[in-house]
Amino acid sequence: MMRAVLVDDEISNLENLRILLEKHCTQVTIIATAQNVSDAVDAIEKHLPHVVFLDIQMGEQTGFDVLRLLPTRNFEVIFITAYDQYGIQAVKFAALDYLLKPIDIDELMTAVHKAEHKLAAQIQTSQLDFLLQQLKKPETHVSTIALQMQSEIRYVTLSEIIRCEADNTYTHFFLSGNEKILVSKSLKEYADLLRPKGFLRTHQSHLVNPKYVKSWLKEDGGILLLTSGEKIPVSKPNRETVKQALQRLW
Amino acid sequence: MKKITFILLSFITALSTVNAQKGIDFSRTYAAGGKLLMSVDSSAKNVYYANVFPNQPRTSFNYLPDVNNVSIQIYFKETDSVQHYRYTILEDDKPIVVNKSIDQARLADVDRPDEVFRSTSLGVFPIKGKTITTIIYSIEKPLNIDKAVFYGKLISRAKILGFSKRFATDKGVDYSWITDLKEKTDFTFTEKDDELTIVKDRSVNDYLYYITIKDRQTNKIIFESTAWQYGYYVEDHQFLPYVKIDKSLFKKSGDYEIIIQPLIEWTECRDCDISAEEIEGYITRHTLSVTVDEVNYTKKELLLYSLLVGFLIGLVFLVIIYLNKRKNKKRLAENEQQKNTAKLQLNSIRSQLNPHFLFNALAGIQNLMNRNEIDKANKYLSKFARLTRNVLDDKELISLSQEKTLLDDYLQMEQLRFGFEYEINHSEDLDLANIEIPSMLLQPFVENAVKHGISQKATDGKVIITFSKQANDLQLTVTDNGNGFDPVKKTNGLGLPLSESRIALLNSIYKENRFTLAIQSTTNGTKISLTLIDWL
Repeated sequence: MMRAVLVDDEISNLENLRILLEKHCTQVTIIATAQNVSDAVDAIEKHLPHVVFLDIQMGEQTGFDVLRLLPTRNFEVIFITAYDQYGIQAVKFAALDYLLKPIDIDELMTAVHKAEHKLAAQIQTSQLDFLLQQLKKPETHVSTIALQMQSEIRYVTLSEIIRCEADNTYTHFFLSGNEKILVSKSLKEYADLLRPKGFLRTHQSHLVNPKYVKSWLKEDGGILLLTSGEKIPVSKPNRETVKQALQRLW
Repeated sequence: MKKITFILLSFITALSTVNAQKGIDFSRTYAAGGKLLMSVDSSAKNVYYANVFPNQPRTSFNYLPDVNNVSIQIYFKETDSVQHYRYTILEDDKPIVVNKSIDQARLADVDRPDEVFRSTSLGVFPIKGKTITTIIYSIEKPLNIDKAVFYGKLISRAKILGFSKRFATDKGVDYSWITDLKEKTDFTFTEKDDELTIVKDRSVNDYLYYITIKDRQTNKIIFESTAWQYGYYVEDHQFLPYVKIDKSLFKKSGDYEIIIQPLIEWTECRDCDISAEEIEGYITRHTLSVTVDEVNYTKKELLLYSLLVGFLIGLVFLVIIYLNKRKNKKRLAENEQQKNTAKLQLNSIRSQLNPHFLFNALAGIQNLMNRNEIDKANKYLSKFARLTRNVLDDKELISLSQEKTLLDDYLQMEQLRFGFEYEINHSEDLDLANIEIPSMLLQPFVENAVKHGISQKATDGKVIITFSKQANDLQLTVTDNGNGFDPVKKTNGLGLPLSESRIALLNSIYKENRFTLAIQSTTNGTKISLTLIDWL
């Protein structure tokens, strides 16, 4: 049994979510709904839910304001947003779950299962604190990413990531200090997140932090030699882009 | 030229023994060269005694312009064999005594603290306006002739008679002359010229004169000589003295001063009273204004010039590098701009999802709602949202699995309208999650396949999409079993022409990889093959 609070400023969205949850996620019990920030804070403080479905954009305010106003946040949050908008990038960097409107039933069920798993395993995370911290700075200053591992969340500064390597739908993170982390998200998703931060997608299976690139070797059409001594292939479609990016840096 | 101290000089001052002859007070005595001493009358001034000259080791020259009478004495050491000596005296060029022996009876001893000399007078001579020359030798060594000149005239100022320059001709060399001289002479050295000759007038004692050449710009003496030559330059049946100067001495064009003057130490004399103006009266000066056509460089200049040239070359090199860098940068920027433009165009094309499809899809969902097929309506609505999101996202690249989802969504929406079948197949060796392709690459072709290929065929229609790996190439195909079309004839739908311009844009962005499009269309169907060369 998961107690849930639904927060959205549109009544039709609340109704829709209620219907979908009642029909497809029977383990969820809706104990309260709220249409603005203060009601949401009250409801959460009063009912102490396991999970909060939180719309990001609510008129002039945001779902993040709800979180800011709560001193303790002992619940899972599933964000809901209509379209890539303010904060969604931070949500992604914090490795938090989010749903897009209109809600896809499969995605809803997956998100609920994940929350359930985390509650059952009693994984304590500080992802929400991290998210709120990230939101304080401009997006370009975000320098830390949360990595969801099997049973913990790791916060990693971007500058300690040497490179990422795809392993099917998993991604290996190679960190400075010879550490290796396996994360259950595809490299493509991290590439989308980290490319704006200067990371180079050199190959379909490789994402490289340019900070750790020592030199460009011309063998086999192009290989990056990293300061760690590793050699990373640069595939032909990416060659020009990588070259230009490095030229700008050097 | 320094005076040479003769052996007798040491006791000149002490001598007063033989002085008062013919009523003249010869109280001042000087070394006169060789074994001679001379005494001059008390009114004498400016006695320049015992000058010697280069290449004239046994000649001494006494310049006595202000002396009336001179008394000449000869001194012998005790070891000298006086009987072997002979002397000749000339007044100007007229001999008055010739090869006479010394009258030994008249020799008187002169005691010196360390040595005893024997001395006698050779006579007292009025000297004003005259030259007395003595020639003394021993018959034991007749070649060692000591000559002393007592010069009572004024030394004449030398005169430059002319310049000539030597130049190369076909046959050898020839000379050209400048003889009518003013104070200044313009002189040009061409490449063929190699030598300057300066000719002086003939005098009785040419050895008296020395010539110097001074560079007016640096005030440095570049040439000095006493070595007069006598040769081809003849005037009045006499050879004229001349000096030759190599052209290389004149390094630069400019004024040079030629100075000819007697080699007399004007300041080193006894009882001298000669002014600078008087000295200047003995000096000949002439300005030679030289133009050097061919520039000769010294090592220092050469070094300086080569440094300068090196510096200039370096500068030019730097400028070239800089310009090149700037050009490269500009080219890079232009390339980037071009790419950006292409990307922008691509974006605008990408977002042109057929509105006809959009609204029909919405109508399809409305229909499901009205038929109370809620789950189905939810499903299609999600698909529709995801599709629209993909189109709105201006993501340049999406993974193959995202492309597969997108096509699934799209085809299922279309299935709702037309009941055809479709398959999306991919070869096992493709890493769908991580291989990226430009987004919305296949959708227009698939839309085309649905619209023109099979929409009339309803449930019999079939669309097959494949992703496959061909060596390093990624091949994407869309096949339908519709009625086909003429690929040459442009269809009125947006799909195909847009796709073609998209491929052209993609080719301008991904220069290293080519996108090729092949269309095969028959009445049994159409197959579109899109190959991304070297993509994997």
